[in-house]
Amino acid sequence: MTPDALPLLTAMHLADSSFPSGLFAFSWGLEAALAEGQADPRDLAGWIGAELHGRWHPFDRVALAGGWRLDGAGLADWDDLVDASIPAEMQRQQSLQAGAALAASARRIGVALDDGHAPVVHGRFLRLSGLTLPDALAVSAMGMARGLASAAVRLGRVGAVAVQRDLLALLPRIAALTDPPRPDDLPASFAPISDIALMRPLASRLFVN
Amino acid sequence: MTAARVGIGGPVGSGKTALIEAILPHLAAAGIDTAVITNDLVTDEDAERLRRGGQLPPERVLAVQAGACPHTVIREDPTLNIAAADRLERDFPGLDLILIESGGDNLASTFSPDLVDFWMFVIDVAGGDDIPRKKGPGILQADLLVVNKADLAPHVGVDLPLMLDQAQAVRGGRPVIATVCRRDQGVAGILDLLRREVLFR
Ligand SMILES: Nc1nc2c(ncn2[C@@H]2O[C@H](COP(=O)(O)OP(=O)(O)OP(=O)(O)O)[C@@H](O)[C@H]2O)c(=O)[nH]1
Ligand SMILES: [Mg+2]
Repeated sequence: MTPDALPLLTAMHLADSSFPSGLFAFSWGLEAALAEGQADPRDLAGWIGAELHGRWHPFDRVALAGGWRLDGAGLADWDDLVDASIPAEMQRQQSLQAGAALAASARRIGVALDDGHAPVVHGRFLRLSGLTLPDALAVSAMGMARGLASAAVRLGRVGAVAVQRDLLALLPRIAALTDPPRPDDLPASFAPISDIALMRPLASRLFVN
Repeated sequence: MTAARVGIGGPVGSGKTALIEAILPHLAAAGIDTAVITNDLVTDEDAERLRRGGQLPPERVLAVQAGACPHTVIREDPTLNIAAADRLERDFPGLDLILIESGGDNLASTFSPDLVDFWMFVIDVAGGDDIPRKKGPGILQADLLVVNKADLAPHVGVDLPLMLDQAQAVRGGRPVIATVCRRDQGVAGILDLLRREVLFR
């Protein structure tokens, strides 16, 4: 093995969906959107692309970068700011729940992490695990895309093979979106359709959200 | 001192929630401070049923969603359950026991040692007396095999003593307990085993 392969191997390990983080149980609105026809299972790349542009890029990317960059009191303040930037109560709780699950996992493998909002905890975890910020952002964006695709598969709405076409088609867009934010950028998402889907009550649901 | 974490798995409808309902009064009588986590497949039906049952204060029953994967949430990625158990321990200092009910699954479901200190697998007599012979990982690996709905044996043509013998045999003599959870039969034996094996009191 060449030492050069280490960053790639680390990123692959941390981005692997088998890494226990609880995220498999979240659909971030896709379950309701598929049930109610707002998301089209034949064009999952459309839904995932909109989430990446409207939610991940302006919100998760910025929140994650703060978690990656900051320490101590600055980190706690950043988590409070992210908390205040999620106005919908359910979504706020779900972000905390996802953060707590990742933190529980990290602590058990010896990475000291406090609970917090999912992207902030993720950013800190990836830095403490040795990833650069650009790699951390790529891991996070890919995780969101793959998480949504896998939720659609487990909901039985798309094939596990067919959905790979959507994901492959999205890779160039994901690469273009993973630019590190400026330190003074603030998280603010604009994803109204999935925001509403996240708040819709669903008679029977399989996912946390 | 942290709370013992005990998993309860088994096929759909075998009586996992009924077992919890039956054992809670025994635990209360023994002064064992308990909380429950359910992993319902859909919504939080079992959690609601336990809260309505009134044997535990409602805030001691947490529901964890399984994302369409009852297996994954107790084995491959148990972090949501670990986080829920950590939260219960934080909210209720002095907790002795956390029971974690898996969503109904198949004979292959097992609990991660990351999540539990001890786990039991509950099967239903009416599922057929060939179930132990099928040697699913759940049946072989569980610390305790519970053969529930013993009352139904005569109605479904099951030779219960033979079924229990075969269960003992495939498990190499590790514990097997027959129960009728609806009538509180055999449940005290489960409590005795838990006290000996995990609660140490
Ligand atoms: N006859 C009989 N019925 C039982 C017994 N225990 C449970 N039942 C019934 O079996 C059905 C299923 O019981 P539950 O406790 O809901 O089973 P479960 O394993 O929790 O089911 P899921 O969580 O849906 O997988 C209910 O109608 C119970 O009343 C028993 O010992 N004897
Ligand atoms: Mg149940």
